Amino acid sequence: MSGSQRGDETGEPPTLTIPRGTLLRSRVVSDVGTTLSRALDRGLTGYATLVPQETLLLSGEARGVLTFEDGVPVLAYNTVTDSGGPDALAELAVPGPYRVELYAVDADGLAAAHREDALRVAPDAAATELADDAALADRTREAAPADRLRDDADEDDAVAAFLADDDRIEAIREQARSEARDRAAEWGLDDALDGPSEPAGGEGETAERATDDADGDDRHRESEGPTPPLDRGSGG
Amino acid sequence: MKRIYSDRPASGDMVEAFAVASGKGGTGKTTSTLALGMALAADHDVTVVDADTGMANLLFHAGLDDAAVTLHDLLVEGTATDVDEATYERFGLSVVPCGTSLAGFEAAEPERLRDVVAELARDTDLLLLDSPAALGSKSAVLPVVLADRVVVVVEPTIPALSDGLKVQEYARSYGTETAGVLFNKVRSEADDVAAQAERHFGGSVLANVPESDAVRAARRAGEPLLAHAPESEAAARYRRAAGRLDVRDGDGDAVADRFRSAVVPDTP
Repeated sequence: MSGSQRGDETGEPPTLTIPRGTLLRSRVVSDVGTTLSRALDRGLTGYATLVPQETLLLSGEARGVLTFEDGVPVLAYNTVTDSGGPDALAELAVPGPYRVELYAVDADGLAAAHREDALRVAPDAAATELADDAALADRTREAAPADRLRDDADEDDAVAAFLADDDRIEAIREQARSEARDRAAEWGLDDALDGPSEPAGGEGETAERATDDADGDDRHRESEGPTPPLDRGSGG
Repeated sequence: MKRIYSDRPASGDMVEAFAVASGKGGTGKTTSTLALGMALAADHDVTVVDADTGMANLLFHAGLDDAAVTLHDLLVEGTATDVDEATYERFGLSVVPCGTSLAGFEAAEPERLRDVVAELARDTDLLLLDSPAALGSKSAVLPVVLADRVVVVVEPTIPALSDGLKVQEYARSYGTETAGVLFNKVRSEADDVAAQAERHFGGSVLANVPESDAVRAARRAGEPLLAHAPESEAAARYRRAAGRLDVRDGDGDAVADRFRSAVVPDTP
């Protein structure tokens, strides 16, 4: 299959080997839930390749493979980073759209791959983390065989992986900051903006921003310098 | 209170305004707003406002489905409606519900929320603004702009946390810091997730509120969780969250001073 047998040339064990199978559909979807729902409804055994089109929030490209058994997701793998399981889901969990290809494969063709425990994900994890669809997650859990419904504990694995990815979090925050500033202009809320910010890392305290004397901000309520603090924006 | 309110003096002893926000729908923001409000009402005079003017639902949670006057009426220019007329005393709280009609939403001028909030601030200790689950419009962002601090309500999922982080950054852009993060609909508590989240949010994790039938039952009954099932685990967690909010006692004079020195942004 697509791009996952990289181990062969290096002598390392292949990280994920599954047959190419039969292409069922190929398209760009805004919501990956559409794909997951389709796979579930038709009880697909096979896999989907998921390529997020959102690149701003990814350090590199991501190309995901999600396998299904009878419509229920089994493995997740990112062929770009070689991450598998919840880590791969975390890397792939970005706002859509995704380019998606859906393939059908004989169950036998997936058997070996599906023994890779490290790549496994909870049945409903893709619906929750990629599609953000609680109802689909419920439907997927209901369709999953009993032996795949373990305790919820490792459902948080993808969340933990996401929260551990400081670069990714900073990218989200940076994008939000710049979006907030652009929109403030659009909405006439410029004057309410806090001083030219700061990023100052991600952690902990944020409280001191307002008294930071960054240039260009003449709105500080505690301003005591020679510049009249109330001039701008209050005139009309 | 914040710079952005009007410069009318605060006569009461207003302490703080919190926006309860999430960035995405379905995280239980309204349930959380009312639960925090009721818990805080044990020690404070609390007013809860449904500032989600496009998708109002607080009225259903508070048994105010038939409220004759709502926030929508206060946001229409030229109406002589007094804030008091849209304020209802329920469950130990002052509640300002919002109507659900499209016409009401369309007639409303979001900018007027500022005045409404300033007006309410004169007679209450604590304001909780149930904020829209979106960031795509001025009316959606205004509650976060107006608040002193934001309580970010998230489910422990990547999409919800991503959106929660976005809300936090929007809020920070307007000088609104994070009071804390409330994890809702939690099915399994993972300490590492809470610890990691605290690294990224500018406040502590206030509580892990479990997914709960009591919450659904309260909603069906049209009652806040703390009124409907005060003994439930979820209610206990909300009380704990409220305790961790560390409300800042402001003295009335200082608040008034800040009002006076505040810049009122242009109203387009």
